[in-house]
Amino acid sequence: MSALLEVADLRVEFDTYGGTVQAVRGVSFELDRGQTLAIVGESGCGKSVTVQSIMGLIPMPPGRITSGTAKLDGKDVIADKRIDGKDIRGRLVGMIFQDPMSSLNPTMTIGEQIAETLQVHRGYSHRRAIARAIELIDMTRIPEAAKRASQYPFEFSGGMLQRSMIAMSLACEPSILIADEPTTALDVTIQAQILDLMRDLQRDNGMAIILITHDLGVVARMADEVLVMYAGEVVERGSVDDVFYRSAHPYTLGLRAAMPSNRDDAAQELTPIDGSPPDLFAPPAGCGYFARCPHAMRACETEHPRAFELGEQHRARCWLHHEDCNVDAGEVFRK
Amino acid sequence: MLAYTIKRLLQGVITVWFIATATFFGMHAVPGDPLAADKEVPPEIWANLQARYGLDKPVPEQYVIYLGNMLKGDFGISYTQQNREVNDIIAEHFKVSATLGILAIVFAAFGGILWGALTALYRNRAPDIVIVFLVILGISVPSFVFAALGQLGVVNINNALGFTLFPVAGWGTVQHMIVPSMVLGLGTMAFLTRLMRSSMLEIANSDFIRTARSKGLPATRVFRKHQLRNAILPVVTVLGPSIAAITTGGFVVEMVFAIPGLGRYFVQAVQQLDYTVIMGTTVFYGAFLVFMVILVDLVYGLIDPRVRLE
Repeated sequence: MSALLEVADLRVEFDTYGGTVQAVRGVSFELDRGQTLAIVGESGCGKSVTVQSIMGLIPMPPGRITSGTAKLDGKDVIADKRIDGKDIRGRLVGMIFQDPMSSLNPTMTIGEQIAETLQVHRGYSHRRAIARAIELIDMTRIPEAAKRASQYPFEFSGGMLQRSMIAMSLACEPSILIADEPTTALDVTIQAQILDLMRDLQRDNGMAIILITHDLGVVARMADEVLVMYAGEVVERGSVDDVFYRSAHPYTLGLRAAMPSNRDDAAQELTPIDGSPPDLFAPPAGCGYFARCPHAMRACETEHPRAFELGEQHRARCWLHHEDCNVDAGEVFRK
Repeated sequence: MLAYTIKRLLQGVITVWFIATATFFGMHAVPGDPLAADKEVPPEIWANLQARYGLDKPVPEQYVIYLGNMLKGDFGISYTQQNREVNDIIAEHFKVSATLGILAIVFAAFGGILWGALTALYRNRAPDIVIVFLVILGISVPSFVFAALGQLGVVNINNALGFTLFPVAGWGTVQHMIVPSMVLGLGTMAFLTRLMRSSMLEIANSDFIRTARSKGLPATRVFRKHQLRNAILPVVTVLGPSIAAITTGGFVVEMVFAIPGLGRYFVQAVQQLDYTVIMGTTVFYGAFLVFMVILVDLVYGLIDPRVRLE
């Protein structure tokens, strides 16, 4: 059985006053039904642009998808430029965003905003769509759903708004939910509730989730597979265990060292990654992480690393895994 | 909502009282009096007239008497026009000014929203550049120039058609109203267009528009149900002050088009120190504007649910 979503060699550029930014440089991944894929990486590494180009949300111009395919159930959605009710958006793929406070229309009731999707995609009557919207609100564990449906976003708390966003994105039972940093703007207890809700709904509906985050704690809690992105590329991918316990890229190691831990034996001090990501106006010829990598070699500066196969699913874009490399990769990554 | 309305109306009454008081004392501070005529009047007659009109009493006493009459709805009799009550002047001429003003504001609001939305849709392309240029023209050219140009245009249209489609001046029929109200509303329309344009562009980049697009809504629906309504809010906010600008600015247009509106009496009364007419027209205009601003604020609550509760 082929994967639900197959993205291959996706490249996205943006024209700016300073020149052309290569925001995404050849990203490929697969997503299976019912699985959760986490995309991690620091700000500006191309996480959001990757998923937004699948959704057709990249403003063009200035954006441009220069190559790549994204096959959803075998059908390329990037070539399909239609923006009507039959579009994949909202029907096959639902999406929630970082800041629920500003992601809902302030002058429309929550119920109307959820019902709208059903009216457009399923042709429901207004009354039927509202009734279904109330069920959806109830499903996301907001009490007094019927009353809440006729309220406006300013009458909701941040956590409830994000629940409403989830209700809205799941209205047409999409096979994929894309969550672009869904908990970044929420406080920690609400974060946990939202993540639990997403996982429960995934279990009930069998949808796949693409979770974009820079919180490794969230990744460990939610993900089946992990994509580590850096400078517009996937530098490491694998199962959550591969990436956390058998990290195979120095950037992943750096991220882990920068993460607080409550284990006694862990280092008490957090180690930040020095420097900043490369300028994507003119991406480096070699490895994007070269300038910040503590294990950088001569080849890393000029030769672009290919993805080395380390396990069935596990890949890492790092020259340390090359058979001719005389540094013991095992030594580096055991730490 | 009811409590809010009552509160706003009470505030409005205080504002009107303040306008009346300030106008009353300001008017009395101007040298001369309404009885000063071109012809020399014997002092005895002048004193008699003063007593007749109560002008010999101290100003504070006159003020109290005046307020008492005003509360009864009596603005007195004009000093300069024979046997005309101020109430009659207002009743007869205000409906003309109000019709003109309302037509102008409707024209300005619909035009502003339409052109503003269009320029935002065609941002940095030919329609946008042309309209923005016209907007700057509309804001900077005074209304009497447009009034004269409007009349010239009307004459040319009538000549070309061979019959009188729009009368050049005067009042009475719908054809009389169209050109003056467009001229009167033009400056405000230009201002509202600019406001609407920037508001539309701001909303277009907002998160909830991205959400609406991610739901797969057709572009027309995103525009109509999500962008437009939110973009109109700032325009509605300035409608109150715009009504003030249009009604007070109406005087010039009324003069050019020979429209028997209240503006003319307003200005004449000040020149002639016709105390009762000054007071009557000022208080009436003041009350009207205050009422319109309150009305606009209440309408705002209908569009933006966030305002309703406050």
